[in-house]
Amino acid sequence: MITIDSKSRLPFYEQLVENIRALVLSGALEGDAQLPSVRQLAGELGINPNTVQKAYASLEQTGVIYTVPGRGNFICSDTTALRADRGESLLEQLRQLVLQLRRLGIGQERVAACVQEVYKEEQRQ
Amino acid sequence: MIQLDKVNKSFGSLTALREVTMQVEDGHIFGLVGTNGAGKSTLLRILAGIYRADSGQVLYDGAPVYENIPVKQEIFYISDDPYYFLNASIDEMKSYYRNLYPRFDQALYTKLLSGLDLDPNRKLHTFSKGMLRQAIIVLAFASRSHYILFDETFDGLDPVMRQAVKRLIASGVAENELVPVIASHNLRELEDIADHVSVLHRGSMVLDMRLDDMRADIYKIQCAFSEVPTPQWFQDLDVIQMEVRGRFATLVVRAPKAEILAAVQAREPVFMETIPLTLEEIFIAQMEGIGYEAKHILL
Repeated sequence: MITIDSKSRLPFYEQLVENIRALVLSGALEGDAQLPSVRQLAGELGINPNTVQKAYASLEQTGVIYTVPGRGNFICSDTTALRADRGESLLEQLRQLVLQLRRLGIGQERVAACVQEVYKEEQRQ
Repeated sequence: MIQLDKVNKSFGSLTALREVTMQVEDGHIFGLVGTNGAGKSTLLRILAGIYRADSGQVLYDGAPVYENIPVKQEIFYISDDPYYFLNASIDEMKSYYRNLYPRFDQALYTKLLSGLDLDPNRKLHTFSKGMLRQAIIVLAFASRSHYILFDETFDGLDPVMRQAVKRLIASGVAENELVPVIASHNLRELEDIADHVSVLHRGSMVLDMRLDDMRADIYKIQCAFSEVPTPQWFQDLDVIQMEVRGRFATLVVRAPKAEILAAVQAREPVFMETIPLTLEEIFIAQMEGIGYEAKHILL
């Protein structure tokens, strides 16, 4: 489930963090689900255990997972912070995209219409 | 923990190692990079207690390794050119190693061997290079040595086997039983697994760093502006490299990402992209920073 792309330029530690965050956001990893141990994951992926440890520590710090000493690492049920954070980063991506559209000379109306259309689809459903 | 202090080694008029000082800590995976002839194998043979250093100290948890059997029982050296007895099979080599290593794990030996397509009774001299490597690797892990020294071990292994060896290394370290030292001419190979890399060049240690520290806050930025950029634009940043081609600029900068983005955006780029650096690029930037023509050393 958790994978690593050894050809990616992103450090493994960041890949692991992003990977687990994505799994939580998509609902594939639900609240209180247990993550593989550092030992197990490092062994499976063939990467440095310290890298896995570092990724878990960062996830714990940002409130994505919690640690029960002696039992392991678990997913936090409360994903509010994670969702808010992801929302911010997606909005920034959107801003960059809009910037590119603006440079291409595509008017505000068309961009706004495109956004509205997506939200309308949701209402219809 | 392994400590080397000012180790020198010469063969006749050839100086193989010059004042090498390094430290390998438990719980870490130590990588040693260098071109052919840089002194990697000599260093590993000194670590294994095969060669005696001309001067300097080689200590394992404070005890010298040379001619010291209790220390050597904790070390398995996987030579670049694996040695075996004439006409011996893997099983026969196993009996030999079982006498040398007190914690030799018969069950692990059987398990690892059954996972590979190696006949324990076939003569080793009939094995291909890759098969021979696999056989020695099985013996090394089964020895349950605390230290395994890998000399270009990934060479001659197929990708599946490489990954399998990396998994064995990772599990061993995670269980706190193994301290691997991996020598390779290929930085790319070490990048996946090592967390500490030293560069050996013409017998001297020229760079010795933790990968985490190296990777922190270093970025490559490609950007284009409506006018030709000058280095003065970014003088407040720690710019390691800057290349300008017309209105395009490629920068390697050591600073937090937000800080870099703010500085570049202040110049209103028409295009900008940040790319994480590969370890190789970081090394080249670092080594050029200390005055080495890194491309000759690493590639």
